[in-house]
Amino acid sequence: MVLADLGRKITTALRSLSNATIINEEVLNSMLKEICKALLEADVNIKLVKQLRENVRSVIDFDEMAAGLNKRRMIQSAVFKELVKLIDPGIKAWTPTKGKNNVIMFVGLQGSGKTTTCTKLAYYYMKKGWKTCLICADTFRAGAFDQLKQNATKARIPFYGSYTEPDPVVIAQEGVEKFKDEGFEIIIVDTSGRHKQEDSLFEEMLQVSNVTSPDNTVFVMDASIGQACENQAKAFKEKVDVASVIITKLDGHAKGGGALSAVAATRSPVIFIGTGEHIDDFEPFKVQPFVSKLLGMGDIEGLIDK
Amino acid sequence: MFNVFKNLVSAKTLTHDDIQPIMEKMKDHLIAKNVAADIAQKLCDSVASKLEGKVLGTFSGVTSTVKTALQEACIQLLSPRRRVDILRDAMEAKQQRRPYVITFCGVNGVGKSTNLAKVCFWLVENGFRVLIAACDTFRAGAVEQLRTHTRKLNALHPPESHNGQQAVQLYEKGYGKDAAGIAMEAINCARDTRIDVVLIDTAGRMQDNEPLMRALAKLIKVNTPDLVLFVGEALVGNEAVDQLTKFNQALADHSNMENPRIIDGILLTKFDTIDDKVGAAISMTYITGQPIVFVGTGQTYTDLKNLNAKAVVHSLLKS
Ligand SMILES: Nc1nc2c(ncn2[C@@H]2O[C@H](COP(=O)(O)OP(=O)(O)OP(=O)(O)O)[C@@H](O)[C@H]2O)c(=O)[nH]1
Ligand SMILES: Nc1nc2c(ncn2[C@@H]2O[C@H](COP(=O)(O)OP(=O)(O)OP(=O)(O)O)[C@@H](O)[C@H]2O)c(=O)[nH]1
Ligand SMILES: [Mg+2]
Ligand SMILES: [Mg+2]
Repeated sequence: MVLADLGRKITTALRSLSNATIINEEVLNSMLKEICKALLEADVNIKLVKQLRENVRSVIDFDEMAAGLNKRRMIQSAVFKELVKLIDPGIKAWTPTKGKNNVIMFVGLQGSGKTTTCTKLAYYYMKKGWKTCLICADTFRAGAFDQLKQNATKARIPFYGSYTEPDPVVIAQEGVEKFKDEGFEIIIVDTSGRHKQEDSLFEEMLQVSNVTSPDNTVFVMDASIGQACENQAKAFKEKVDVASVIITKLDGHAKGGGALSAVAATRSPVIFIGTGEHIDDFEPFKVQPFVSKLLGMGDIEGLIDK
Repeated sequence: MFNVFKNLVSAKTLTHDDIQPIMEKMKDHLIAKNVAADIAQKLCDSVASKLEGKVLGTFSGVTSTVKTALQEACIQLLSPRRRVDILRDAMEAKQQRRPYVITFCGVNGVGKSTNLAKVCFWLVENGFRVLIAACDTFRAGAVEQLRTHTRKLNALHPPESHNGQQAVQLYEKGYGKDAAGIAMEAINCARDTRIDVVLIDTAGRMQDNEPLMRALAKLIKVNTPDLVLFVGEALVGNEAVDQLTKFNQALADHSNMENPRIIDGILLTKFDTIDDKVGAAISMTYITGQPIVFVGTGQTYTDLKNLNAKAVVHSLLKS
C-alpha cells in the first residue's frame, strides 16, 4: 500500500510509548526522532517535519501535565492530529455537478503525468455515465497531441486539439466552447508541463485559465518528488487557483511524502492517486481512512476530537 | 557562545562531542537541499570520523572547519574518477567502421526522449550522423515525439550543410513490438548505411516492475551498447537511491554474465526547476560512483550542459 512503509515505522515508533515503563521527555524525544526520520525518508518537506515535531512537543509539557493524565494517549493523539494535518487541508474536495459543464484544467511540472492522468480521469467519469471529453492545450511538447489522441481514441473519449495552431490559449478556448455547445459534462483541459522559474510558461498557464474559467484546477504531482515540491506548488497556487492535487506513480517504490507538501502549499486536498501507466490504474483518495490505514490503527479515529 | 569563543583562541583537538551538534545541523541542511536522508547521514558520518582527533588551527572555528571538510567531500564526490568522452569514443568507433551506441533508460517522465534529442543535436553539431531508435513501443505518442524531434533537428541541420546527407534519421517499427529487437535492427541498419551514432530511446519503467526491468536488461545484454546512460531528474528525492540501486541490480541480475553491463553514467535533467535544491546530484553520484555526464537545464536543444561541481557544491552549502 501507498505509504505503507512509512506507516509501519510510525506505528513502531508509537508502540515504543506503550513499551516504555515511564513516559518522560526522553521517551518522547526518541519517539519523535524516529517519526521525523521516517517522514524525511519519505520525502516529506523538512519544514513540515520540524513543525510537526514542535507542535507535538508544545502540546506535551511534562512539568505542567497533571499527574493523572494518560500521557500515552495524549502523545498518540497529538501525533495523529499532526499527521492528518499533513495530508488533510481541511477543505472539502471539489466535485462536479451532473447535467452542467464542468471544466477541469490540469497543470503541473514537466513529466509529472498530466496527459496520462487526464485520460484516466475522463475514463473514470465516463464509466460512471458522465459525458466526458478531452482537450489538448499543449502545443509545446513534441508528440503531445498524438499522445492525448491515442489515449483518447483507445478509451473512446471525444477529444479536441490541433497540429497546426501554435497557441494553446486559442485551442483551449475553441475546445471548451465547442464541447460546452455540445453539452459535455466533464471537459478536461490538458496543458504543457511548466515550472515557476520560467515566467512566460506561467503567464501562458494563466491565459489558458482565463479563457477556460475552470471549475477545478488540478495540480498533478509525481510521487517521487523531493524537497523542491513546496516552492513549485506554492508558485502554481499563486498563479492559478489550484483546488485539487493528484499524486501519480504511486505504483513505484516512492512513498509520495514529497508530493504531500503540495497539499500544505496549495491548501488543496488529494482527490485521486495514479498507480500505473494503464488507464484504470487510478483510485479516488480519501484522507481519514487513508491515515488510519497508514497507521494501521482501526481505532485511531476515536483519538481525534473534531 | 562561550564555547565558540574558546575554540577561536586556543588550539584544540576536535572531539566527537564538538562535531556532533554541528553535524546534526549540516545533515538537516543537506536534507533541506534534497540530498536523500540516508545519504546525508552517511556523508556527515564519514566527514565526522575524518575530523575527529584532528587539531584545530588557531584561527578556525569548529563550524567552519566542518563546513570546509564537507565541501571538500562533496566536490570529490562530484568529480569523476573516470571521464566519459563521448566525442572521442564515437570517433574511435567510426574509425573501426561501427556505430557508437548509447542507451537512455530511467523511470517514467524524467526526460529520456527529450534529452536524447538534445544529445543528438550536440552530436550533429559535432559532425556526426545519428540514427534514433524508437524503442519505447509502449507509451502513447512516444514514436511521434521522436519523429517530431527528427524533423526539427533536420530542419536545423539541413542536408545541404551535411554533404547532402540527412543528419538525423529515425528507426521505428510503431508500437507493441519487442524493444530489444528493434534496437538490434537499428544498430544493423546504422552499420550498413554508415551512420555514426545510434541513440536508443527506451520506455520509462518503475524500478520495481520486474518484467519491464528484465526487458531492459535483455535489450542491453543483446545489444551491448557503448554507453548506458541513466536519466534521472533533479526533482527526485529519496527515490534516487532506490532507482539507481535497482536499475543497476536488475541489469546485473538479469544479464547472466560475469561482467554485466551496468549504468555507465548519469544524465541529470530538469536542473532548471530546483533552484538551489541540488541534492539529487549528490545522492545519485554517491550511490553509483558514476559521473554525471550531462545536466539538462531546460526544454530546448541547447539546454544540455556539463556538470560544474564547484557551482553545485556552492549551491548545496549556501544557506
Ligand atoms: N508507473 C506509472 N507511470 C505513470 C503514471 N502516471 C503517468 N505515468 C507515466 O509517466 C510518464 C509521463 O506522463 P505524461 O502523462 O506524459 O506526463 P505529462 O505531465 O503530461 O508530461 P509533459 O506534458 O511533458 O509535462 C509516462 O511514461 C506515463 O506513462 C503512474 O501512475 N504510474
Ligand atoms: N524544465 C525542464 N524540462 C525538461 C528537461 N528535460 C526534459 N524536460 C521535460 O520533461 C517532460 C518529459 O520529458 P520526456 O523526454 O518525454 O520524458 P521521458 O523520460 O522520455 O518520458 P517517458 O518516455 O514517458 O517515460 C517534457 O515536457 C520535457 O520537455 C529539462 O532539463 N528541464
Ligand atoms: Mg503532457
Ligand atoms: Mg520517452
